[in-house]
Amino acid sequence: MITREEILHIAKIAKLYVKDEEMDQLIQDMSKIIDYADAIKAVSRDSDVDFDNINNIANAFNEDLVIPSYRRDEILMNREGGENGYFLVRKSQRG
Amino acid sequence: MSKIKDLQRLLETKEISCVELTEKYLDNIERLNKTINAYVRVTAEEALETARKVDERIAAGEKLMPLEGIPMSLKDNISTKGIETTCCSRMLQGYYPIYDATVWETLKKQNAILLGKTNMDEFAMGSSCETSIYGVTLNPNNTDHVAGGSSGGAAASVAGNMAVFGIGSDTGGSIRQPASFCGLVGLKPTYGTVSRYGLIAYASSLDQIGPITGSVEDAAIIYDCLSSYDPKDSTSVGSRTTTHDKLNNSVKGMKIGIIDEFFDGINRDVKSSLEEAIKVYEDAGAQILHFKMPGLNAVLPVYFIIACAEASSNLGRYDGIDTAIRQIPTRI
Repeated sequence: MITREEILHIAKIAKLYVKDEEMDQLIQDMSKIIDYADAIKAVSRDSDVDFDNINNIANAFNEDLVIPSYRRDEILMNREGGENGYFLVRKSQRG
Repeated sequence: MSKIKDLQRLLETKEISCVELTEKYLDNIERLNKTINAYVRVTAEEALETARKVDERIAAGEKLMPLEGIPMSLKDNISTKGIETTCCSRMLQGYYPIYDATVWETLKKQNAILLGKTNMDEFAMGSSCETSIYGVTLNPNNTDHVAGGSSGGAAASVAGNMAVFGIGSDTGGSIRQPASFCGLVGLKPTYGTVSRYGLIAYASSLDQIGPITGSVEDAAIIYDCLSSYDPKDSTSVGSRTTTHDKLNNSVKGMKIGIIDEFFDGINRDVKSSLEEAIKVYEDAGAQILHFKMPGLNAVLPVYFIIACAEASSNLGRYDGIDTAIRQIPTRI
């Protein structure tokens, strides 16, 4: 069972408000979700088949090449041109 | 059975011009889209401009490329340079990509006619288009029903004769399910065959781009055009496929596995259609093998863990700090 404290912690890092009266329902709902995911524990891992990378896929690495990229003003176009050629980032931390 | 080939024949024999063909589809959109809501953005100007280019090439006696002159639609999570791309979310309203997705670049090079961007569940998360900020897409076959999702707009654009084919994306059924709802063919290609560069990511280890069409042959033509190796997508392993050439190959001796558990509790009509299809393959000489697959009930929980974890990571960038429109914090 998920605890009240765990929900408050998740809400805090997700920047969400949780009303007190919603807490009981949230504990129930989130516990149900976790129980659902726990269904995978029932699958037996005793098998002769190696399930790791069954499609035999290898990592793809590119040569470390410098190639022409986009213009700075193009990149900033969706942020109203930015400020002095940079993204203007909103303040997200207090203090 | 190929609408693409039939239309190209009409274009090449000059029975219809590409501009006329495009106008016919734009008229259908004008007439039907108010009700069906397949398109969230119509790109009539771009479509007619490309159509004129195709007509010039036909007049000059040039041979048409496999998708040249064919009116089509793109799902709104596929980046189109200079054309608004929103994933049907308020967070990306007013976002104009500065580059083209590789699939759109390929289609553009072929002079395929882009009619517009199609409706979808917000960020492709859903199976009915009901979570789109532009409202639900209705099923052109029966407007009391939805077109499915998340590529519901893509499917409805084809089913409503508002496009010859639609390009959608599939993470956990988002091409196949709406295609099925609308009585069409939907293909989720093998992972790695079609470049995902420029597809706004949902769950990167599951997402694939693919076609929704009226026939298997058209799906094969499009798949062969879109599959290629793309250095811009590090999961791309593909090389050009040659599916279309093999469509009429014999299935004699081929083994087809049928997972029994999938038949538990399915709709009667779907079951009888499946059984009919199995019979067709059996009569054509394929070997049908029934088997059980224990552990299948763990598949969906695994899917939800992977999809939610990757979505959290991929969508973290839309926090409104440097990308996307910041929304007023929601109370849950």
